[in-house]
Amino acid sequence: MNMTEKSHTSIQYEKELQDIKENLLYEGALVEQAIEYAIQSLLERDSDLAQSVIDHDEHIDELDEKIEEQCIRILALRQPAAKDLRFIATAIKVNGHLERIGDLAVNIARRALDLNEVPPVKPYIDLPRMADITREMVKESLDALVREDCGLADVVRKKDEQVDNINEQIFRELLTFMMEDPKTIHRALLITQISKSLERISDHAESVAKMVIYMVTGESVKHQGSSGDCEK
Amino acid sequence: MRNSLFYKVFGTYLVITLIAMLVVGLYATRQIKSKLMERIDTELTSYTQIISTTPSLSKIISEIASLSKTSDARVTLIGSDGVILADSDGKASEMDNHLNRPEVQEARVKGTGRSIRFSTTLGINTLYVALPIKEGPAIKGYIRLARPLTEVKHYIQEINLLILQSFLIVGILSFLIAFVFTSRLTSPIHEMEQFTERLLDGEDPGSLMIHSSDETGRLARNINSMVMRLTEKIQFADEEKGKLESLLASMEDGILLLDANDRIEAINDASKKMFSTRFRDIVGRTTLEAFRNIDMQEALDRFKETGEPVSQEIILEEDQRALDVTVSPVHGLPENEGKTIIVLHEVTRLKKLEKVRADFVANVTHEIKTPLTAILGFIETLEGGAIEESETAKNFLRTIHEHAERLDRLVDDLLVISNAELGEIHFSFETVSLNGVIENALIVIERKASEKKLIVKKEIPDDLPSIWGDRDRLHQILLNVLDNAVKFTPDSGTVSIKAFDGRDGNVYIEISDTGIGIPNGEIPRLGERFYRVDKARSRELGGTGLGLSIVKHLMTAHKGRVEIKSHVGTGTTVLLIFPVFQEELTA
Repeated sequence: MNMTEKSHTSIQYEKELQDIKENLLYEGALVEQAIEYAIQSLLERDSDLAQSVIDHDEHIDELDEKIEEQCIRILALRQPAAKDLRFIATAIKVNGHLERIGDLAVNIARRALDLNEVPPVKPYIDLPRMADITREMVKESLDALVREDCGLADVVRKKDEQVDNINEQIFRELLTFMMEDPKTIHRALLITQISKSLERISDHAESVAKMVIYMVTGESVKHQGSSGDCEK
Repeated sequence: MRNSLFYKVFGTYLVITLIAMLVVGLYATRQIKSKLMERIDTELTSYTQIISTTPSLSKIISEIASLSKTSDARVTLIGSDGVILADSDGKASEMDNHLNRPEVQEARVKGTGRSIRFSTTLGINTLYVALPIKEGPAIKGYIRLARPLTEVKHYIQEINLLILQSFLIVGILSFLIAFVFTSRLTSPIHEMEQFTERLLDGEDPGSLMIHSSDETGRLARNINSMVMRLTEKIQFADEEKGKLESLLASMEDGILLLDANDRIEAINDASKKMFSTRFRDIVGRTTLEAFRNIDMQEALDRFKETGEPVSQEIILEEDQRALDVTVSPVHGLPENEGKTIIVLHEVTRLKKLEKVRADFVANVTHEIKTPLTAILGFIETLEGGAIEESETAKNFLRTIHEHAERLDRLVDDLLVISNAELGEIHFSFETVSLNGVIENALIVIERKASEKKLIVKKEIPDDLPSIWGDRDRLHQILLNVLDNAVKFTPDSGTVSIKAFDGRDGNVYIEISDTGIGIPNGEIPRLGERFYRVDKARSRELGGTGLGLSIVKHLMTAHKGRVEIKSHVGTGTTVLLIFPVFQEELTA
C-alpha cells in the first residue's frame, strides 16, 4: 500500500468516526429537548407540547438505528484498536442509553397528557426540582462525552443519589395523599410514574457518564457505584 | 569580539604583504648576489687576462706578490703540466698538481676556465678564474686568480640585514595600517549585522549611523529606510487589527466564524457570554459539539442546502434565552471561501414583551367578557320573564349594575395604565404636603374598613416634608394600596399607615395589614398587569387586577419607588418612597 492510499484511508476513517460522534450529539440534543418539553408540558399543562414530544420520538429512533449501523460497519471494516475501539464501544452503549431516555421522555409526556385532563393534586415543587437535576445530569454527561472530561463524568455520577432521594420523597408524600383521600389515587399514581421515569433517566445518564470514564481511561467503573474515582 | 570578516581581511592583507616582501627580498637578494658575482667575475677575469698577456713566466713569478696585491686575489702560476710554479699565498713546492682542477681543464679546452669551490685552505667559497698563457698555439702554462667570496658573503649578509630591517618596519606599519583599514571596513558591516539581529529579536534597533559615502554608507541608509517603512506598515496593520478587534469585542451581537469544515474558527466576546454555560475551549469544535442545539443545527443545515442566508429563532434550553440566529456565507479573500458566519442577536426581551402583551390581551378579553357574560345572562333571564317578579328583578338589576360598574372601573384603570406606559398621562405637579392626601384617602376607605370591623391605625407627623407631585395621582396611589390592604385583611384585622422622614432625602409611607399575605415567590410579579395571587378571591372582592400596576407606574412618574414585604398568614407591608421636594430638581 503506497503512502497516498494510506493517508486517504485515514482521512476517510476520521470522517466516519466524526460522523458517529456528530450523530450521537445530535441524538443527545434531541433527547435533551424531549425531556425539556415533556416536563414543560406537565408544568404548564400544555397538551400540544406533550403530543409533539410523542410524535418526535421517531427521529430519535431513526438516529438510534443509523448510529448502530455505522458503528457495526466500522467494527467490521476497520477493525479498530485501542482508543478507537473504546470509542465505538462507548458510542454503541451511549446510543442505547439515549434511545431509552427518549422513550422515557415519551412516557412522561403521556402521563402529562393524562394529568392535564384533571385538576392538579398540589403545586409541583419536588418534580420540577427533580427534573432540573435530571436534565443537568443528561446535559453534563453529554458534555463530558464531547470534552472527554472525566471530572464532569464524576459530577454526574454523584447527582444520581440526589435524584433517587427525591424520588423516594415524592413517593412517600403521595402515599400520604392517597391514604388521606382515595380520590387522588389516580393522579398520584400518574405522578409517581413520572417520578420513576425521571429516576430511570438519571440512571441512564449516570451510565453514560461511566462509559465516558471507560472511554477515556480504559477502566471500567460500571459496577463501582459512585465510589470509583477517575484520574486523568 | 572581533568578527571573522575582520580576521579574514586583516589576515589576507598581512599575508599578502608578507608574501610580497618575501618575494621582493628573495629576488632582490638573488639579483644582487648574481650581479655582484658577475662583477667580481669580470674583474677577476680582466686581471687574469692582463696577467696572461705577460710574455715571460718568470716575470710573473717575480712579480706575483704585487700582482696579487693589485688584483686583490691569490695569483697562482701553473705550468702546462699542472705543477704549481708560483703562488702568491704559499710555497709553490708544497702544493699539489693542479692540472685536474676544473678551471685549469676548462682553460685548456675552452680558453677560459672558471669555477667556484669551497676552498679547504681558506674555508670559504672561492672563485677561480684561469686563463692559459699561450705562445702561439702552445700553452706554456696557466695563470689562475682566486678570490674568496667573503666580500660577497659579507655584502649579502649586509643586504639581508637591511632587508630584514625593512621587513620589520614595513611589517609593523602594514600591521597597523591593515588593522585600521580592516576595522574601518568591517565595523560598519558588524554594526549592520547587530542591527539586523536586534530587528529579528523584535527589539527596536535604533538607526544605523554609518556615514561613509561608499556602498556601506548607502547600504546603511537603505536599511534604515527599509526598517522605517516596515515599521510603519506593521503599525498600520496592527491598528487596523486593533480596530477590528475592538469592534468585534464591543458588539452586543455574537459572532461565530466557521471554517470550511464547519468547525468554529473564531468567536467574539459577546458569543462567549451568550453561551457561557458551555465550555471555553469552543474553538476548533463543531457547532454540534459546542452547543448541541437542535434549532441552530437546523438553521445550519438549511444554509448548507440552499447556500442562501438563513435566519432562525433559537431557544437556549439552559436559561430560556431566545436568540435570533443568522447564518450567511463569508465573502472576500480567497482563503476565506467556504467559511460561514453566524450572527447571534439577543431577542429574549423582545420575546418576553411579546408574551406579556399576548397575556395582557388575553387577560383583558377575559376580564371584560366575564362581567359582560353575567350581564347578558341576567338580561336574558329578565327578558325571559323574571322581570315580572319584582324582588328577583330588583336583585338582578342590582347585580347587573355592579357588573357594569366593575366594567367601568376596569376601562378607567386600563386607560390609566395604557396612558402611563405611553407617557401620555397629564400630570400637574406641585408641592404637595402628604398629610392632606393621606387624610383624604383614609376617609374614602373608612367605610369599607368599618364594615369589616378593621382597626385603622395612623401615625402621621405634622411636619412631613413636602414632595413634588400630582395631587390626584397621589390620591389614586394611596387609595389603591389602602384598598388592597383593606380587601385582603379578614374581619377584625388591622390596617396601619405610618409616614416619616427617612432623613435620606426621601419620605416614607408605610401601609401594613394583618391580611392573608403574599408568598415570597409571587412578590416580584405583583406589578404585572392582571397578576393576581389568588384569582378567584381577588375577583370576588371586586378587583380589576390592575391596581398595583397603576401604583407602580405612578410611583415611577413621581421618581419614587415601591417596596413590598409579606408573610403568608401574617400580613403585608407596602412601602412607598418619595423623594423630598428640592428646588433644584423641578425640571
